[in-house]
Amino acid sequence: MYKKTAIITGISGQDGAYLSKLLLSKGYKVYGTYRRTSSVNFWRIEELGLLGHPDLHLVEFDLTDLGTCLRLLHTTGATEIYNLAAQSFVGVSFDQPHTTAQITAIGALNLLEAIRLVNPQIRFYQASTSEMFGKVQAIPQVEETPFWPRSPYGVAKLYAHWITINYRESYDIFGCSGILFNHESPLRGREFVTRKITDSVAKIKLGKLDVLELGNLDAKRDWGYAEEYVEGMWRMLQADVPDTFVLATNRTETVRDFVIMAFKAVGIELVWKGNAEKEIAEDAATGKLLLRINPKFYRPAEVELLIGNPAKAKEKLGWAPKTTLEELCQMMVDADMRRNNNGASF
Amino acid sequence: MPVAFITGITGQDGSYLADLLLSKDYIVHGLVHRPDSVGSSNIRHLVADPKIMGKQLFLHNGSFEDATHLRRVISRAQPDEFYHLAGQSSPRLSLELPEATVDSVGMATLRLLEILRDLDHRTKFLYASSSEVFGSPSYSPQDELTPINPTTPYGAAKAFSQQMARIYRIAYKLPTCSVILYNHESPRRGGHFVTMKIARAVARIKKGLQKELQLGSLTGRRDWGWAPDYVCGMWQMLQADVVDDFILATGKLHSVEELVQNAFQSVGLQWRDYVKFDPDLVTTVEPIAPCGNPSKAQRLLGWQNTVGFEEMMERLVAAESDKLG
Repeated sequence: MYKKTAIITGISGQDGAYLSKLLLSKGYKVYGTYRRTSSVNFWRIEELGLLGHPDLHLVEFDLTDLGTCLRLLHTTGATEIYNLAAQSFVGVSFDQPHTTAQITAIGALNLLEAIRLVNPQIRFYQASTSEMFGKVQAIPQVEETPFWPRSPYGVAKLYAHWITINYRESYDIFGCSGILFNHESPLRGREFVTRKITDSVAKIKLGKLDVLELGNLDAKRDWGYAEEYVEGMWRMLQADVPDTFVLATNRTETVRDFVIMAFKAVGIELVWKGNAEKEIAEDAATGKLLLRINPKFYRPAEVELLIGNPAKAKEKLGWAPKTTLEELCQMMVDADMRRNNNGASF
Repeated sequence: MPVAFITGITGQDGSYLADLLLSKDYIVHGLVHRPDSVGSSNIRHLVADPKIMGKQLFLHNGSFEDATHLRRVISRAQPDEFYHLAGQSSPRLSLELPEATVDSVGMATLRLLEILRDLDHRTKFLYASSSEVFGSPSYSPQDELTPINPTTPYGAAKAFSQQMARIYRIAYKLPTCSVILYNHESPRRGGHFVTMKIARAVARIKKGLQKELQLGSLTGRRDWGWAPDYVCGMWQMLQADVVDDFILATGKLHSVEELVQNAFQSVGLQWRDYVKFDPDLVTTVEPIAPCGNPSKAQRLLGWQNTVGFEEMMERLVAAESDKLG
């Protein structure tokens, strides 16, 4: 049987795991790349039951090494590349701006150069992000909204976005940029605020943690379900023409709202007191302190409000989000209750 | 309290070194390049200990591309001792990723030396080099005077770093040195290494979770020691009156066949019943296996490898069996 072959960079991340699940279910042969470290971990692929799948090949790789990019495209004979790899922690990008630029910006350029040299027919997906809107210039944000990134991460992603479009226009390469708004799942890393909240709520419920500490509770985000978003990535590369698409839910909520939802999911109601750095939340039933602010989690430059309109993706790709934020939050809390009950969570 | 800085703190050696220095009441700073993997790494027991984390142990996000950030972090920490252990650790992988390997294994060291050169504080610096710098050595065992002759990009990058540490010692009178490490193993070894691959397979076969062990060849020979001893040797090197380069090794060669035999024996099984050969896994075998002469370290530092080959393999298998529960 003829098989399509795809490369997914960043296979050990949340989206890499869901996308490999999707592509394998469609009969693809998948090469998933990861960066070797002493603590590389495939828990997500394992949790989806894909570790050891005969069509999933895990490859040690480094996006900053152009020679290796060329060889990877050449030896795998890939027809689609999904560039999901990045230094993706916004906070870290303030400490490591050069590293972030090398991996997140120049890494995308390396892949595009490799496509141009090895086989210009290879279709390329670039994982762009709503962080590129930063200090937003319009509400809601769409494909034409001007960008104003507020972190070295956002700036690096913006380079990768434009270089993808530039290679599309200059060399007729099928390069798509998906501007994805926050997308969460039980496979999210605990460094991200939603998963930090659901994991902490589970631990508090089970008596394994006293207090949840957060930064800015008023940041507003547009949160969708990651498994649906990777379907959108795949649809972009199956379209007739390459293009740029926003994937979002068109609903925005504050971090505070998400906290309330997560505690509600385990049957705890909160009472809020104080404000700004002094704000706290207590258990309405017992008066126990459950949440406080720690300014160390504030960003040097905050992104206050993100909300995306996915109308273009709906019209041209037939893509639309289905899972509500309440359902998503419940799913994440349930997974973290199960994991923490069974011992540990990653 | 003395202050130490460790790069590669989540690796096998870095984590044992952190354990050792914390037990000696050091303040320990560690560099980590992925905040998401610390909680599942070799230092998870330290990170989870509120009496240590943020009090005696401080972790910094950082990587070697960001020299300005490193400079800020190191200047603030004012370390008395600096242990540079980080770097892509596979000679085989360096043939696939030569440029990335030379950046992370070679240039990284030079950037650190440049930072230390400008510090007002006098910082002793140790670089973790490797027997790979000798490549296919012309004689055995090798000592500190054996010519450097690497055969992989990894070995060449290690040699570059080692030479730079020596050059800074001579040119700027800085207390900078290298330890030339031969293979050293422990339960914290990553699964890519042959010792751990065998130990894991034997533990799983004993528990009935796996039927056979696929290996390329049994003829490869190595000088295998006990990692916690090697880490102790690194510390001893920076306590000496004169900072200098040393080899840490056992001086004894054993084959992969002996590894396999000991591992299966330790759980009462016969290796011949379970080992299958896969020609795809055969790597080039060196004409002369790397074997190090540790007599300089024994003489000047009183250093010893305390856990012999058989016991080392038993401990690895036992640790893997424990993990399976």
